[in-house]
Amino acid sequence: MTTSKLGKYLSGLGLLGLVIFLCVIPFYSTDYIVSVLLDILTWIGLTQSWIILSGFTGYISLGHSAFFGIGAYVMAILWLKLPYPLIILISAMSSMTLAFAIGFPVLRVRGPYFVILTLGLSEFAKYIFINYEVNVKGTVGRILLGVPNIRTLYFSLLIIAIVTILCAYLIKRSRFGYGLFSIKEDEDAAESLGIDTSIYKWLALGISAFFPGAIGATMALRRTYIDPYSVFDPIVSFQIIVMAFFGGIGKLHGPVLGACILTLISEFFWARYPHYYLIILGVILVFIVKIMPSGILGIFDLFGKAGKVVKFVRRK
Amino acid sequence: MDLGSILQIVFTGLIMGSIYALVAVGLNLIYGTMRLLNIAHGEIIMIGAYVAYWLFTAYGVSPFFSLILSSFVTIVIGLIICKIIFLPMIRSGKSEESIQSNALLLFFAISIILTNVVILIWTADIRGYSYLTGVVQILKVPVMLNRLNAFLVALVICVIAYFFLQKTMLGKAIRALIQERTAAKLVGINSDRLYLVSFMMAFGIAGLTGALLSMIYELSPFMGFPYTITAFVVIILGGLGNVLGSLIAGFIFGFVETVGISVTSPGLQSIISYGVFIGVILYRPKGIFGKGL
Repeated sequence: MTTSKLGKYLSGLGLLGLVIFLCVIPFYSTDYIVSVLLDILTWIGLTQSWIILSGFTGYISLGHSAFFGIGAYVMAILWLKLPYPLIILISAMSSMTLAFAIGFPVLRVRGPYFVILTLGLSEFAKYIFINYEVNVKGTVGRILLGVPNIRTLYFSLLIIAIVTILCAYLIKRSRFGYGLFSIKEDEDAAESLGIDTSIYKWLALGISAFFPGAIGATMALRRTYIDPYSVFDPIVSFQIIVMAFFGGIGKLHGPVLGACILTLISEFFWARYPHYYLIILGVILVFIVKIMPSGILGIFDLFGKAGKVVKFVRRK
Repeated sequence: MDLGSILQIVFTGLIMGSIYALVAVGLNLIYGTMRLLNIAHGEIIMIGAYVAYWLFTAYGVSPFFSLILSSFVTIVIGLIICKIIFLPMIRSGKSEESIQSNALLLFFAISIILTNVVILIWTADIRGYSYLTGVVQILKVPVMLNRLNAFLVALVICVIAYFFLQKTMLGKAIRALIQERTAAKLVGINSDRLYLVSFMMAFGIAGLTGALLSMIYELSPFMGFPYTITAFVVIILGGLGNVLGSLIAGFIFGFVETVGISVTSPGLQSIISYGVFIGVILYRPKGIFGKGL
C-alpha cells in the first residue's frame, strides 16, 4: 500500500523533473538538439490527441492529417495579421469547428467503414485545398516570412504537448472517459445503459481535432513553406498510428514512449533515407499488430508478470 | 451540346466504367469472402502497372503479354501476404471486429511499404510509355486504340469472372462463403483454401488491371489510393459480393465521373470522386440495390 503511494509520488516527482528539464534544456543546448526535441513534442502531442478519439472510443481515425493541415493553413493565411499565440488558438478552434461540423454524420459510420471514410475525408480536404491554391489563388503553396525563432516554437509546442497530455489524462479519469471506454467495449450496450454515445463521440472528435490544429499551425511556422501536399500528407496520420500502436494504445504513456523512440529513429533515417524509414515503420506496424498487440509497454507488462511469478514461487 | 460530344462522354464513361468494374471485382472478392477491407488494393494495381512498364521499356515485352506476367507477380505477392499474415489471423479465432480493424492497419502498412519500395526502385517521378496510340472512328467519334483495348479486355475479364462465380463449382463455393460463412463451412466447404484462392484471384486481377492501366495512363507510386477509393464506392453501390452489381455500379460511377468532369473541369476529378465516395458512404451505405452488407 505505502510502496504504491510512494511510487506515485516518485513518478509525480519524476514527471515534474522532466518538465523542468524540458523547460531549461533549450538554453543550454544547440539548435539541433532543440529541433529534435521539438519533433518529439510534435509527435507526442499528435499521438495523444489521436488517443482521445481513437484510443478511447476505438474509432480508428486515419484522417488526423486533415486537422493538422487545416491548422497549418489557418496559420499561413493569418500570419503577420494577428499576434502569434492568438493565431494558434484560432487554428485550433477552426480545426475543432470543422470536426464538430462533420462529426454527427461521420461518426454514425462504424468499424472499417469509419476508418476508410476518415482517410477519404482527409484526401478530399487535401484536393479542395489544392484546387483552391491552383484555381483561385494561382499559386502552389505559401511562404511564411519573419517566423519566430526555434526556441519560441519549442516552448509553444511544449505547452501544447503538456496541455494535450493533461487533457487526455483528465478525460481518461473522468466520467466522460469511462463513457468513451464503454463505447469501445460495446457501443450498443453503452447506449442502452443511458450513455448518449453520439454526443460522447462527437465531443471526443472535437477535442481530438483541437490539438492537431494547434500543432499544425506551429509546424507551419517551423517549416516556413507549406503546400497542401505536405501538410495534408496521409503519412502524418500513418506516423501517428504507428507511434501510438508501437507504444501501446492501452495506456497514455505508451504513445508518448512510441513517439519518442520512433522520432529518434526517424532522426537517423529521415534526412538520408526517408523511404527506408517509411518501410521500417510499415514493417514495425505489421509486427506490432501481429505479434505485440499491446505495444512495447506489453513487454514491460510481461516483465512485471514474470517478476510477480518469481516472487510467488519464492514465497512458496 | 451536340451529338458528337454526348457520344464522346458515353464512350469515356463506358471505358472508365469497365476499368472501375474490374478494379472493384478484386476488392469485392477479398471483402466478400474474408471480410477484410484491402486498402492496399490500389497499390497492388500500381505494382502491376510498374511491372508492365518495366518489362516494356527494358525488354520490349508486349504489354499484352505483361497482362499475364504482371498478374503472376501480384499473385505471388498475394500468396505470400495471405499465407504469412492473414490466414493465421483468421484461424486465430479472435472476434471478427478485432480482426477487421487489425487487418485494416496491416493493409495500410502494406500499402505504405509497397509505395516506398516502388519509390526506391523507380523513384517518385511520373513515368509512362506509348502503346497503341492510334485512333479509330466509332460512329464518327475518335477513340484511342489503347482505351478501346482496355475496355474490351476489362469487359472480357469481368464476364469471365461472372461466369466463373455463377457456373463453376469453385465459384459457387466462393459465393456461398460470401453469403453465409458459417453455413458454408457446415456444408463442408474448405474455407481456408477458398480464402487463399479468392485472395490470389483478387491480387491477380489487380495486377492485370495495373498492366492494362499502364497502357493508358502515366504511372506514379501514388496512383494507387484513388483506385482503392473508387473500388470501394463501386462495391458499396453494387452490393457486396455481387459481381454483376459491381459491373453496373462501375459503369454508373464511370458515367457520373465523366459527366461531372465534362460539366466542370478535369482538375476537379479527385474532388468529384472523393465527394461521391463520402456521399455514398454517408447516405447510401447499403448500395443502390438495397441489400448487401
